[in-house]
Amino acid sequence: MKKIININFHSRVIPIEETAYEILQQYVDSLRRYFAHEEGRDEIISDIENRFSELFADKLKKGAACITDEDVNAIIASMGRPEEFEGETEPSSAQPGASAATANTGAGSAGGAGSAGSTGPAGGFQQGNGPYSTAEEPRRLYRTSNDKVLGGVCAGLAHYLKLDPVVVRLIFVFLFFTGAGFLLYIIMWAVLPTRPLIAPPASRKRLYRNPDDRVIAGVASGLAAYFHIDVWIPRLIFALPILLGVFTSIFSNIWWHAFRYNGHFIFNGFGGSLFIAYVVLWIVLPEATTAPEKLEMRGEKIDLESIKNTVKSDLETLKGRAREMGAEMSERMQQMGRDMGTSFKQSYQNVSTDMGYAVRRSGTGIGHAIGVLFKAFFLVIAGLVAFALVMALIAVAFGAFSGQGLLDLKSYVLDGFWQNALAWATFVLCLVVPVVALLTWLIRRITGMRSQRHYLGYVFATLWVIGIVCAVVLAGMFVNNFRARAHSEEDFSLVQPATGNLIIKAHQPLVRDYYEDWWFGEGWRHHGYFYTLTDDSILLNTVQVKVLKSDDSVYHLRILRGSYGSSANAALDHARRIAFNVSQTDSVIQLPGGFPITRDQKFRNQQVIVAVYIPVGKKVLIDNSVKRYDWFNLDFNHQHIRWDNSWRSDNEYDNDGFTRTDNYYWDAGVQYIMTSSGLQRVDNIDRPERKEQPERREQKERKEKPERPEKKEAPDAQSPPANPDGQARPANPDGQSRPANTGGYRYQAPARKAADTPAAKTSTSIRPRRASQYVLFSSFM
Amino acid sequence: MNIENTQSQMRKGILEFCILSVIRRGEAYPSDIVEEMKGANLNILEGTLYPLLTRLKNADMLTYRWVESNSGPPRKYFSLTPKGEAFYGELQATWNELSNAVHALTQKI
Repeated sequence: MKKIININFHSRVIPIEETAYEILQQYVDSLRRYFAHEEGRDEIISDIENRFSELFADKLKKGAACITDEDVNAIIASMGRPEEFEGETEPSSAQPGASAATANTGAGSAGGAGSAGSTGPAGGFQQGNGPYSTAEEPRRLYRTSNDKVLGGVCAGLAHYLKLDPVVVRLIFVFLFFTGAGFLLYIIMWAVLPTRPLIAPPASRKRLYRNPDDRVIAGVASGLAAYFHIDVWIPRLIFALPILLGVFTSIFSNIWWHAFRYNGHFIFNGFGGSLFIAYVVLWIVLPEATTAPEKLEMRGEKIDLESIKNTVKSDLETLKGRAREMGAEMSERMQQMGRDMGTSFKQSYQNVSTDMGYAVRRSGTGIGHAIGVLFKAFFLVIAGLVAFALVMALIAVAFGAFSGQGLLDLKSYVLDGFWQNALAWATFVLCLVVPVVALLTWLIRRITGMRSQRHYLGYVFATLWVIGIVCAVVLAGMFVNNFRARAHSEEDFSLVQPATGNLIIKAHQPLVRDYYEDWWFGEGWRHHGYFYTLTDDSILLNTVQVKVLKSDDSVYHLRILRGSYGSSANAALDHARRIAFNVSQTDSVIQLPGGFPITRDQKFRNQQVIVAVYIPVGKKVLIDNSVKRYDWFNLDFNHQHIRWDNSWRSDNEYDNDGFTRTDNYYWDAGVQYIMTSSGLQRVDNIDRPERKEQPERREQKERKEKPERPEKKEAPDAQSPPANPDGQARPANPDGQSRPANTGGYRYQAPARKAADTPAAKTSTSIRPRRASQYVLFSSFM
Repeated sequence: MNIENTQSQMRKGILEFCILSVIRRGEAYPSDIVEEMKGANLNILEGTLYPLLTRLKNADMLTYRWVESNSGPPRKYFSLTPKGEAFYGELQATWNELSNAVHALTQKI
């Protein structure tokens, strides 16, 4: 029993079997592909269709009830398959392959094709390919332009490797999760040329939505048709979690808590994803509207049976002809022989191309569905990446999240028109251009727009390279701003504390922001980076407090303001403009919480060192508030940038000659007393703080490591310590004495180069004394 | 070397010439052309004919007019243009040369 449909075919009403109609459509499709590049394609096809229509009408006039498969096949045979056409555009190489197979193995291979049909397209397909076959061409890797999901990379690979594209696609889907696949795909997408390739698809089934039997969108019944199961099964699967969710929320008051939890779990987790799956399938799957699509949906077969039948009947007619021929046996035998050959060839080719079409048209079934899903996934990911990049760019530029964006910082760092211009150029060209390029590419991909302007890529690349050059030049200029270092010094006129105990405190940071953040919660932020940005200035708290031994019997306080600059003078100028005002109330020295740098002053890594000189026998307490200070040092002199927040480790690298010498390690919140042998805890030996030990040991080790080997050498290399009491005063064997009290340290930087050599000597000569300093530390522990 | 291939190459060259000669005798309907050629024992598939006709028409060698038919829609009838005539003349001359040459050569053996 076959379904008959009426079609209006070139102004004639033709009753035709549904399957016959499908064969006709496939034939017309094949013509369309064959003449794809022909100028008068539509006209040719219209003419041929017209002829079909005419022949159909003839057939009906002769009394046929309808047009059958056989009728269509017969007409197709007389019209000829595309691969049989003789014309300038036809690659003649396709011909021999088909006819060679015909000549001697016709019956065998036809039978073989029939039996092989169950496992997939066999030889028949290959030969039936005709002009689409690329077997004779040198094998090259292409992206396909016809059988693609995303960029056609997988299908191209599959064609090259002679694999099923579904397999390659699945492999790529797995690779995508590793990240490498993503990159690989993008690269191949960019590199490979496109080409229409006919890849042998796997099956004839495809997922459709079934519009005839639907509750919502026909997804469930489409799935049911695909898997040949009853439609209520997928419906139940989709509906069950939702029903469960409804029921559990109804009974949630009656049932115990755990059950309610479970119900919600199913509904929110599994059921939720099923719901999404339904919606996605709804969007992705096409509706099966035409008859062939409905056939494909059910996977109904133009299959082995029908192919076998066709082959058989063809062979029958052939036999008949041969018998006839034998009977006639005339002088025209040769002629007849050729006729036979031709007709055999035609019928064979009918079969093989039929199979070819059957397989070719079918798409890739579930692979197709997966591919489409994946395409959506891919584009979403790419979109997210682009979005994240744009957001990151905005965040970096304007400090959307931290309040400390690069653009805000820029005006403190950069100096002059050129640096600003370069900074903008770098920002726009290096960061904005790639993002714009990515977005452009993405939008093109999504909209399927193809640009004729190939120069766009080059423009983007050139701009980006220019951006890189700008960045390099800017970096050079930037480093130049930090080339020289200088200190200014100021003695704070200290009122000697009556108690014999000096307390050093630091104010709260000048500015604290109250922050309310969806991510970090809320609270006062006062101890973050070494800087805080406000509207008109940047607040630094790069301050160190150093404790030294006073050479006379009174306290001294000395404030060093240091800065970098493009020259020593510029650095000194920057240093002098640091506003760091110390005040004293009774025995308490109040240090400011930091110092502001205005836009005019520029950020040149300004630092303040507060040197406290304690006379022997007097005490000092450094308050915990001092710990809020941070230290930060940009050091371009060692061919690298040191970004260092720990002032203690900075000791080892600090080259102002001051920090290396005679300052003592201290802990905040601990009372110290200066003795002739150095700084000692007032509450010392009896109360070792065991829990701090690991940290201290580590510090001790850090200090000792570089020093230890020199401990022995120093006395040999230099003159022995000039003062036998050793630790009390800075030794200065080379005669460049620093009078202990008045010139406790040198004002070194403006004439740094000149001062370098003696400074170096000084510091080495002091080393033996430092060794004893560590002895002192270890006695603490 | 494949015999079928060579045969089809030989046929291909003369197809246009033959089609033009059929049309030259009077307005022709494509299926009539096929029948006529079949009658002369020169088989041609209609699928080959239609593209050839369209190409020739697009090259201004042929023109066509719609002729009403008693059954169904009108049909296309092709005829030669003056340019087609000239083209045919040249093909005819070439064919004569070839035919003579081939004849002379093959008869020698």
